[in-house]
Amino acid sequence: MTRSSTQSLHAMLQVAGWIGLGLIAVAVSLSDFLASAPADATGIGPLLAPPSTLLHFGSDILGRDMLSETLHGLSATVRSALPATLVTLVAGALFGFVAARLPRALALSLRGFIGILASLPALLLAVLVIGLSARGWAAVAAGLSAAPFAFVRAFERARLQERATHSEYARATGISGATLLRRDLVYEFSDTILSAAARALAAVSIVLSTVSFLGFGAVPPHRDLGLMIAASKLYFLHAWWTAAFPAAALTILILFARLAAGLDEGERA
Amino acid sequence: MLRFVSREAGRLALGLLGSGLLAAAISALALPHAGDGLIAFLIAWGRTLDAFGHLNFGHSSISGGAALDELAAHLPLTMGLVAEGFAVALIVGIPVGFLFGAGPARRAAAPLIQIVSAAPIFCAGLALAYAAANLLHWPVPTDNGIKTGLSLWPHSAAEFETLLLPVLTVGLAGAAATQMALRRAGSDGAREPWRAQLRRMGLSAWEVEGVYGVPQILAGLLASLGEVMLALLSAAAVAEWVFSYAGAADLFVKSVALRDWAIVAPVLLSFAGLTLIADFIGRCAARPLADPGTPP
Repeated sequence: MTRSSTQSLHAMLQVAGWIGLGLIAVAVSLSDFLASAPADATGIGPLLAPPSTLLHFGSDILGRDMLSETLHGLSATVRSALPATLVTLVAGALFGFVAARLPRALALSLRGFIGILASLPALLLAVLVIGLSARGWAAVAAGLSAAPFAFVRAFERARLQERATHSEYARATGISGATLLRRDLVYEFSDTILSAAARALAAVSIVLSTVSFLGFGAVPPHRDLGLMIAASKLYFLHAWWTAAFPAAALTILILFARLAAGLDEGERA
Repeated sequence: MLRFVSREAGRLALGLLGSGLLAAAISALALPHAGDGLIAFLIAWGRTLDAFGHLNFGHSSISGGAALDELAAHLPLTMGLVAEGFAVALIVGIPVGFLFGAGPARRAAAPLIQIVSAAPIFCAGLALAYAAANLLHWPVPTDNGIKTGLSLWPHSAAEFETLLLPVLTVGLAGAAATQMALRRAGSDGAREPWRAQLRRMGLSAWEVEGVYGVPQILAGLLASLGEVMLALLSAAAVAEWVFSYAGAADLFVKSVALRDWAIVAPVLLSFAGLTLIADFIGRCAARPLADPGTPP
């Protein structure tokens, strides 16, 4: 396989990722129409009924239709993940890029502080932020917990650009640091905003669903996929469908976001 | 090399100092009146820093026990899970990383790796539990009841079965991080111009890979040791929760839920310390591999 065919495969996977995310967006916005039962409607079918022609994804311990619940859960996860993605983009990617152009001592202090936050598992950082605020802030907490890694990456990219030839010429010709920063920000984000957003979406979806699984995220009756999987913990050994379908929906969401981000080989979200 | 190690040691010291300040800020919340405004918080922070300096990490507001005793009671289980998970990560991750990290297999495996990387670790843990219970008929402790300890050195088949699931969960997360680091290093190495130049000098592909390529890839893995440690610690938190074991990560989650900040702070400090130390060791070990010409 040549380099050009590898690149075209990469581009095809990225397009597939965006198409997948688009389909998920449609499913989420139409979840109330697509689902045959409203969210959290109990007694739709027999308790813990396996998948059948009547209930395609089976039912849970309260007789809720798992297909409808999975759609509603996916909708809740995506609706929380979108503001979290925005927080990661602003507090991570944007702030990291700007911080690198601050006076050297301040920039390095910020880089050091955020580096310490990046040395903590994002999951535990999110749990801590929720503990310090409230469960309703889970989306912001997930966004903030994914931000340190995005900050460090953006900071390093900005430092590289600062040492690039165009920056040296610009400084030599008297162009101000603020103008150069504005120019670099426009180029950086016009090229990478979609990819950075998809990358952040993948990261925050993992954190959000895991904090919900641990009991720090969504509050019943508004169940997201993580909380649905946590609720199935007591009986999934005998009723696999109660955990498998929400887990599959979550994995597909993260997979499409990773593909859309066009991550390089071995690159983490 | 000495200069490099000194610089890295300085970074480690600064990182540990910063983690200590952060932990003290969290622990200060446990003091009375710390929430009465910025000045009150700063005073409480100063007091906590002074206490930290004397190795006094405060007392749990729930059990009344010393925070260090609570940490000492729970950390060994997490450390054991992380150590055994790390062994699994190396045993599984390195062969898989080398198998799918070089040559045509690297490109062919790319979509599969994306799918595997997309599965959150708690889903993988539950899948393992399901397979163990239904295919192997092993006992799986997933009840939301009382948390128990875990024998890290099993003396019977039953103990081994109990240990294997959490260790495999942590190990698989570590293996994923390990093989991602190897793939990243392999991908970077494949673009290096010296590869083609060495072939032109008459070296076979095996010689180029074995003598020059493999050390570069291993250096890439070592440089990512901090990232692997992060994956292991996250997975330990999930494994302790899924399989109901009373480790330090479970203690952290429980303490945050109960707002027992005196306990949260030392757990946080120990996790940050573990990651920073792993990062330091990895960077120092990677340096001579990545650049064999580095003088000692």
